[in-house]
Amino acid sequence: MVLQSSKRHYRVWNHRRLGPWCSPTGSPAPLSCETGCGEGSWILVCRLLVPTQVSLLSMEEDIDTRKINNSFLRDHSYATEADIISTVEFNHTGELLATGDKGGRVVIFQREQESKNQIHRRGEYNVYSTFQSHEPEFDYLKSLEIEEKINKIRWLPQQNAAYFLLSTNDKTVKLWKVSERDKRPEGYNLKDEEGRLRDPSTITTLRVPVLRPMDLMVEATPRRVFANAHTYHINSISVNSDYETYMSADDLRINLWNFEITNQSFNIVDIKPANMEELTEVITAAEFHPHHCNTFVYSSSKGTIRLCDMRASALCDRHTKFFEEPEDPSNRSFFSEIISSISDVKFSHSGRYIMTRDYLTVKVWDLNMENRPIETYQVHDYLRSKLCSLYENDCIFDKFECVWNGSDSVIMTGSYNNFFRMFDRNTKRDVTLEASRENSKPRAILKPRKVCVGGKRRKDEISVDSLDFSKKILHTAWHPSENIIAVAATNNLYIFQDKVN
Amino acid sequence: MEVQKEAQRIMTLSVWKMYHSRMQRGGLRLHRSLQLSLVMRSARELYLSAKVEAHEPEVPLPTGRSPDPRLHPPREAEAAAQAAPPDGEPPSPEPMDTQETPRAEETPSRCSPRPAKASRKRRSSSLSDSGDAGLVPSKKARLEEEEAEETPSEVPDRLQPPPAQAEGAFPNLARVLQRRFSGLLNCNPAAPPTAPPACEAKPACRPADSMLNVLVRAVVAF
Repeated sequence: MVLQSSKRHYRVWNHRRLGPWCSPTGSPAPLSCETGCGEGSWILVCRLLVPTQVSLLSMEEDIDTRKINNSFLRDHSYATEADIISTVEFNHTGELLATGDKGGRVVIFQREQESKNQIHRRGEYNVYSTFQSHEPEFDYLKSLEIEEKINKIRWLPQQNAAYFLLSTNDKTVKLWKVSERDKRPEGYNLKDEEGRLRDPSTITTLRVPVLRPMDLMVEATPRRVFANAHTYHINSISVNSDYETYMSADDLRINLWNFEITNQSFNIVDIKPANMEELTEVITAAEFHPHHCNTFVYSSSKGTIRLCDMRASALCDRHTKFFEEPEDPSNRSFFSEIISSISDVKFSHSGRYIMTRDYLTVKVWDLNMENRPIETYQVHDYLRSKLCSLYENDCIFDKFECVWNGSDSVIMTGSYNNFFRMFDRNTKRDVTLEASRENSKPRAILKPRKVCVGGKRRKDEISVDSLDFSKKILHTAWHPSENIIAVAATNNLYIFQDKVN
Repeated sequence: MEVQKEAQRIMTLSVWKMYHSRMQRGGLRLHRSLQLSLVMRSARELYLSAKVEAHEPEVPLPTGRSPDPRLHPPREAEAAAQAAPPDGEPPSPEPMDTQETPRAEETPSRCSPRPAKASRKRRSSSLSDSGDAGLVPSKKARLEEEEAEETPSEVPDRLQPPPAQAEGAFPNLARVLQRRFSGLLNCNPAAPPTAPPACEAKPACRPADSMLNVLVRAVVAF
């Protein structure tokens, strides 16, 4: 399979924000302040679509919104598997939003700058840079194809004018530098304006080249390639708070890298058993503590989390803390083991809590209490009786991610039917929203959705059997300081904002 | 009986998924393989316990004992052979008798399409006569196959239970399992060291389940 070169373009259809907003019941709703979880307070800012080559040609002719909206209906059939978004990540300021897809491409969006003329356009994200991060490879030794799908992207904090991010596929991590060029030197002596060498005999005067402005060009260059360190498939990368090191985790091992050194890495966790037949659990996610550069956590397929301190020993096989909740015998079922596997683990911004996502729930743990989580939120408990069907259609293996908001007061995760859920930890309220094309008309507030579990279905509810399990929201991201969220639904990226902003 | 059928269906499905996971891009996923093998093991336990329950009035002990001889020889075989799915690498061809898995596939399964290539890599019987360590596992595979054969013959007209029913059955079956297993363990101390009864609170780190590995390697041999 040959991957096309990435000459794909991205169209952004920006929908205007609404006029006065009120809650669905018609009464003025309270300001959502920091939590922003109140019903009816989320609006669509923009929907970013990755069209394939075919649909691009037809779209370039039309700029009429109506025609573009019609072509949305055709987009899904044109979207290839390579366009499926596989990771979403805001940078530390929230100015940039990076997405990775199954085709190995990284697309970076930049927030529109505030301007006096178009004040309502602030908060919209436009394409900033696109590049092919990873290509499909072939491991000749094992006769295995290495997928180019981007598993994770992590930004480095900005230290100069350029932006740096790490992107990884199953085997290789790369450090990319994204920089702007808006000036170019003009007035060389030995070269003419086209770059051709001048005949030295024609040079009679000397001039000093000057930098003249040019159209902004954003270029991405791979600065480091960290390869050949993982036998198994990389599932996580995490930048350390010292900004000098980062870790990469695969199913059985975690390696610590220095950004400057690509040919060596330290192995800090190794859970591979001497006899592979005794394998009982794998590493599913790992993350560094946001402030303590010696601390990290990793989650396992058995639903446990281990916190390790790198000061204790070079090989952190023995954990410092072990987080596990005793299993509820009443919930025990045939597929209990699979659904207890943790698919994502995230530290809170404060560093005090960790959040884990397993198939049916999101749990918040206090680092100081290992025997059970402090909060458990049911994401889609109505699926508990459907586990067998979900096993048949492979949905039970889906790896959902979870995110904190900037103040650690709200957590968000995805579900099926393009639903995503937010849980307010303070008010204990939760909301289910949908990221769909039908809802992305301009002037639309996101209406809270409800899944009907029992017999009687109300007008706006959707029954469990009507859920579309092919539309899953696995990847979401929350702006570090504002109530702006990015939700990836297959090949679409939705950006929603709290109206209060 | 429904339990048995359902367990068998899930086992078949798991086998099919394992087979297919080998062919997908990116190679074998360790986590996925592990999860599939866990489900297969649970289905197997369910199947065996349901079988025991069905046969209990007649022959409780021998059925309970039959898994035992399978356990010890595979340990020697394991040392020689490689367990392929847990390894990230592609499996070396095993001189295994693959008759079991095609047999399992013959059971009509509503949702798992029969892998057409199942019999392509069938090993000839001459391989098993070579006196290789692989000889012992293949005997186990045949033992299992015999067991699997019994059920279809007992139930000529198989009706696939609707999924709602089947899923509803499982939580209750946990209690049945607990009763059955404790009965098994009480009357037969040499019972297979399989996972603790379903209702136990904490699934501890399980001992190596060689039965499972035998089954898994049978799958891999295709």
